[in-house]
Amino acid sequence: MLIRTKKDWELPESVVTSETAYRTHNRRDFLKAIGLGAAGAALASSDLLAATGGFPAKANPDFPASALKPTAEQFVTSYNNFYEFGTAKEQPKDLANRGWKTDPWTVELTGLVNKPVKLDVNDLIKQAGGIEERVYRHRCVEAWSMVVPWDGFALAKLVALADPKPEAKYLKFTSFLDPKSSPGQAADNLDYPYVEGLRIDEATNELAFIATGIYGKAMPNQNGAPLRLVTPWKYGFKGIKSIVKIEFVAAQPNNTWKAMQSSEYGFYANVNPTVDHPRWSQASERVIGEGSTFAPKRQPTLMFNGYEKQVAALYKGLDLKKNY
Amino acid sequence: MAVLEKLLRSKVVIWILLVLPGLWPIWPIWVRPDPSVGADPLKFILHHLGFTACVLLATVLTFTPLRMLWPKWGIAQALNRHRRLVGVAAFVYALLHLTTHVIYETGLDWSQLGHVFQVATTKPFQLVGLIAFTILLILTVTSPNAAIKALGGKRWKLLHRLVYVAAALAVYHQAAARKLFPMQVVWIFGPLLALEIARIIRERKPKPAARRDAEPAKV
Repeated sequence: MLIRTKKDWELPESVVTSETAYRTHNRRDFLKAIGLGAAGAALASSDLLAATGGFPAKANPDFPASALKPTAEQFVTSYNNFYEFGTAKEQPKDLANRGWKTDPWTVELTGLVNKPVKLDVNDLIKQAGGIEERVYRHRCVEAWSMVVPWDGFALAKLVALADPKPEAKYLKFTSFLDPKSSPGQAADNLDYPYVEGLRIDEATNELAFIATGIYGKAMPNQNGAPLRLVTPWKYGFKGIKSIVKIEFVAAQPNNTWKAMQSSEYGFYANVNPTVDHPRWSQASERVIGEGSTFAPKRQPTLMFNGYEKQVAALYKGLDLKKNY
Repeated sequence: MAVLEKLLRSKVVIWILLVLPGLWPIWPIWVRPDPSVGADPLKFILHHLGFTACVLLATVLTFTPLRMLWPKWGIAQALNRHRRLVGVAAFVYALLHLTTHVIYETGLDWSQLGHVFQVATTKPFQLVGLIAFTILLILTVTSPNAAIKALGGKRWKLLHRLVYVAAALAVYHQAAARKLFPMQVVWIFGPLLALEIARIIRERKPKPAARRDAEPAKV
């Protein structure tokens, strides 16, 4: 008899998740999933493209839907920091859906690797072994939080595909550059393209995730279609959206927000309630969509956003006050 | 123009203009719910109240330079009848903004109140807002006629010059509220700055009448 031991980061089912409508297990989705599983199955390429994040997560017995209560989907898709499409939260849902093309999409794995490759995002998903769902806490550096059911694959699988050389110490992620489609880039509101980075041991941690969808659907443009980084123990700005290139490098990449204002945003950006932002406290967080207008729900922020068991070892001996 | 001037002379019209912006959040929160606002409605209210306080503060400060630059312009005259009312309204919005901040940060858990103010006094961004608020509070308390009498005109005037300090602090506070410099600060306070510069230039230039008086003395 198989007794599955729960992963540490799965919360106990003390909070019952109501059966929400976000899982749509219909026949078409099922067929798409099969199509991806059997590479030879003759599915039209448009089916595959539609499937990028759209097919339901393959049930991975190791990673079932956790007991965290997902934030209402309408808030996750309309309360976005995606400066390429405006600096106000309500702008990306509009401005990222005015003809910006995220399909087809090519991703490049390059740098200090044995198997550099440039491939379509759907092929990448196939090579990574398909999609699974993970429900993670999401904590923004602006002191608000959500719970998001992501669909995607472990970043470690991508690292294995690229087969890094021993001298590769970091991953450098680069987002798209297309000022014609991106009003934020046209207005030059940040130094584009957006760049993020992880240490290679952070990237291969079991939590590090490449998301291609949310709520069992393809990633909406405003959330970083077609694929984005998710590192739930770090502040949201580490989760670079719409990745086009992942480079394996020897030196620490200069991530965009750190380059913009290093006094406020660091390389690590680990969620830490004891290290304040210069302009506000990080001790607690506003829970998006919970509570009522004049009694908003606030909760204490957890060390590493509640993922201390999984990631604390990565930072042994590191001064987290200096390396924020 | 004459109609507008007439309207702006009316206290009722000014009251309506002052109250309406405060009611705006009702629209995206309850009337036509917008999920971008509904995700964190109190934050929207918080920013909106602070924004309105800044707009009113910048607006009321334009009244005097407008009248000095165009003394015969009826609209400038009409606006100057309401200086105190608009100034107090700016304070009321700042008070609501601060109250909202406290509710937002505590989540109505009053044991957090001390912590919220401790944070406010240690973060320059928040402290600056708090000082600007305190100035507006002092000016509001000393705005009734009785206070002018008690203080004496000269001292009262000197004290109320602090409003310019409050405006400068508000500019910093509003700019620092965002990760990137928000252009709205320029739209709100830019016209005021331009008017003040024009006024200073005007005041430095000796008046034509004064020059005529001065000339015979030279001879």
